[in-house]
Amino acid sequence: MTETKLSIKDLTKRYAAGLEPAVDRLNMEVEEGHLVALLGPSGCGKTTTLRMVAGLMDPTAGSIMVDGKEITHTPVNKRGMGMVFQSYALFPHMNVEQNVAFGLQMRQTPKSEQKKRVAAALDMVQLGHLGKRQTKELSGGQQQRIALARALVVEPTLLLLDEPLSNLDAKLRETMRSEIRSIQQRTRATTLFVTHDQDEALDMADRIAVMNGGLIEQFGSPTEVYERPRTHFVANFIGQANFLTARVGADTGAAPVGERYYKIDVDGFGQFGAVGVPGLTGSTHELVIRPHRLNVSLHPGVVGPESIAGTIERVSYTGDALAVAVRVGEKSLQAQLLTSSGDLPRAGETAYLSWVAEDAYLLPAPAKGLPE
Amino acid sequence: MSEARLFKPRFNPAKPAFGILVFLLYLFLLAPLLIVFVVSFASNQYLSFPPEGLTLKWYELLPAESTFMNGMKVSLIVAIAVTFIVLVLGVPAALALDRFDFKAKAAVQSFFLSPLLIPSIVLALGMVLLFGPLELNNTYAGIIIGHVAITIPFVIRTTLMSLATTDTSCEAAARILGADSWTVFRRITLPIIQPGVIAGGVIAFIVSFDEAVISLFVAESGLPTLPVQVLRYVENSADAAVAALSVILILISLAVVVIVERVMGLRKAVS
Ligand SMILES: Nc1ncnc2c1ncn2[C@@H]1O[C@H](COP(=O)(O)OP(=O)(O)OP(=O)(O)O)[C@@H](O)[C@H]1O
Ligand SMILES: [Mg+2]
Repeated sequence: MTETKLSIKDLTKRYAAGLEPAVDRLNMEVEEGHLVALLGPSGCGKTTTLRMVAGLMDPTAGSIMVDGKEITHTPVNKRGMGMVFQSYALFPHMNVEQNVAFGLQMRQTPKSEQKKRVAAALDMVQLGHLGKRQTKELSGGQQQRIALARALVVEPTLLLLDEPLSNLDAKLRETMRSEIRSIQQRTRATTLFVTHDQDEALDMADRIAVMNGGLIEQFGSPTEVYERPRTHFVANFIGQANFLTARVGADTGAAPVGERYYKIDVDGFGQFGAVGVPGLTGSTHELVIRPHRLNVSLHPGVVGPESIAGTIERVSYTGDALAVAVRVGEKSLQAQLLTSSGDLPRAGETAYLSWVAEDAYLLPAPAKGLPE
Repeated sequence: MSEARLFKPRFNPAKPAFGILVFLLYLFLLAPLLIVFVVSFASNQYLSFPPEGLTLKWYELLPAESTFMNGMKVSLIVAIAVTFIVLVLGVPAALALDRFDFKAKAAVQSFFLSPLLIPSIVLALGMVLLFGPLELNNTYAGIIIGHVAITIPFVIRTTLMSLATTDTSCEAAARILGADSWTVFRRITLPIIQPGVIAGGVIAFIVSFDEAVISLFVAESGLPTLPVQVLRYVENSADAAVAALSVILILISLAVVVIVERVMGLRKAVS
């Protein structure tokens, strides 16, 4: 059985009376050992949420529980957490070992044990040989690992990471991504990870909380938020998406995991199939289709009995893949094909688009501003 | 090969001219010190230049001159107390100014820095008048309060400069790792801002030790400091004992600076 490690209820932060709340009645449950990514655009309240969990900031309302105990008003130095800052925040006047040992000293761990644990933590981040170095003599990636070792050596109740990779160059970011993930999985440290990089979140997280304007728009596994976005914002923020407006017709049968297949009518282009939650028949919904799941053909009838005809606006060739923009009426739809050595579509040609029902997802909330 | 290198660099008259200018400037600044240094070894009966012969008698005279010795004692006690108090007040004040946003911030900031802008004679007069009813004239407390007022701007300035370059997330990181506020201050903040704090302390010590105007107004009769004693001495007698004393004072100031520099330099080399 999995245990709930962190539970956040109606957490709210208003920086000043009269201002819009930076975090607005946020709810979240994090399982023991999970890595949860707080993902969202700049200013959506990720850092604010993390700082409230750390205790660096008092919430305006709501509660935070760790291991079933309320800690909303526990002082920051009594929470036993570990945090890695965007700037790493290594103590500049201490060497690497002293930095890592700081949390243990605060806990009055015996000297001999301190030594062992600091050495083990440094080995874990593969920097055992740099213990005596000054922190300013380290590269960005090394500082980052020391910061991680310093946070983990105290065996924190929660590990909090605020955009720890954003100061690293692209190559190192990839390496550190998998390294942090593997260390997190080895230590089973329950982790909150702030990022605005969706690839990072999809790659590393067990669960993603997609935030927007102080709210969690969706909380789910990477596949859930990618395959079954609950809102337009989530679909648009995670990966690329095409949006079409669909009038939902007959329910044509059961799909996996309790969903239903529907017949839909897309903007007068014809009848297609799609999946969605039960009970959508009769209303208008947004349809989400990922670019690589749009089937493109230069001949009608190949991609399916029904297809949407459009004009190819732009083709961009990247070797493995081909990104095609197809203009259909007012809209420009993005499609992605794997290249083969045969004929490639060219701009100006007519293309026929279609999809299989499983790849077209109807957002559960009725489309706004459109007739029901 | 670039064209310029085909020609021999031509003689640039600006270079030696600049060197001479710098030399003259230094001479201008240091000449009084040099003269005092030379005069302190001169056997002239009265304070004058050039020396007629060389002697150590002015230095031998100093220990017997009780006014100087008493003044030295008062000045040292005052300067040490001032340095201590001004650091205890100035460092937290600078921290508050740097870390908190409050309505009266601009007002508080200019209040702490204002003694730099007010002529010390005005400040001294005000203090005598204020200290009268408080019975602080001619007391250590009176001189120390006066000196704290004029030295606190230096400490706040130098500390603020150090604070401006520190990363506040270091403090947050320490707190999360279990440190209480005092431990964070002692183990993290203070070591990081140490250069600014020490610089402020040294300046405060030297300014206080050297201060004459406030000391003269507030405690001339009861607790004359060394600068006050020197003034008095020069009024009454015109021998070179003051020159010898001045050399000693210069050496003391120099020693303070060198020791601090050594200690800090050593720290940096070790850590
Ligand atoms: N100290 C503050 N005073 C007032 N408003 C603040 C303060 N800190 C943050 N805010 C506001 O609160 C909102 C959320 O800020 P927060 O720093 O949590 O965003 P974020 O999601 O971490 O963004 P980023 O990705 O840019 O770091 C923003 O609108 C921001 O302007
Ligand atoms: Mg942030």
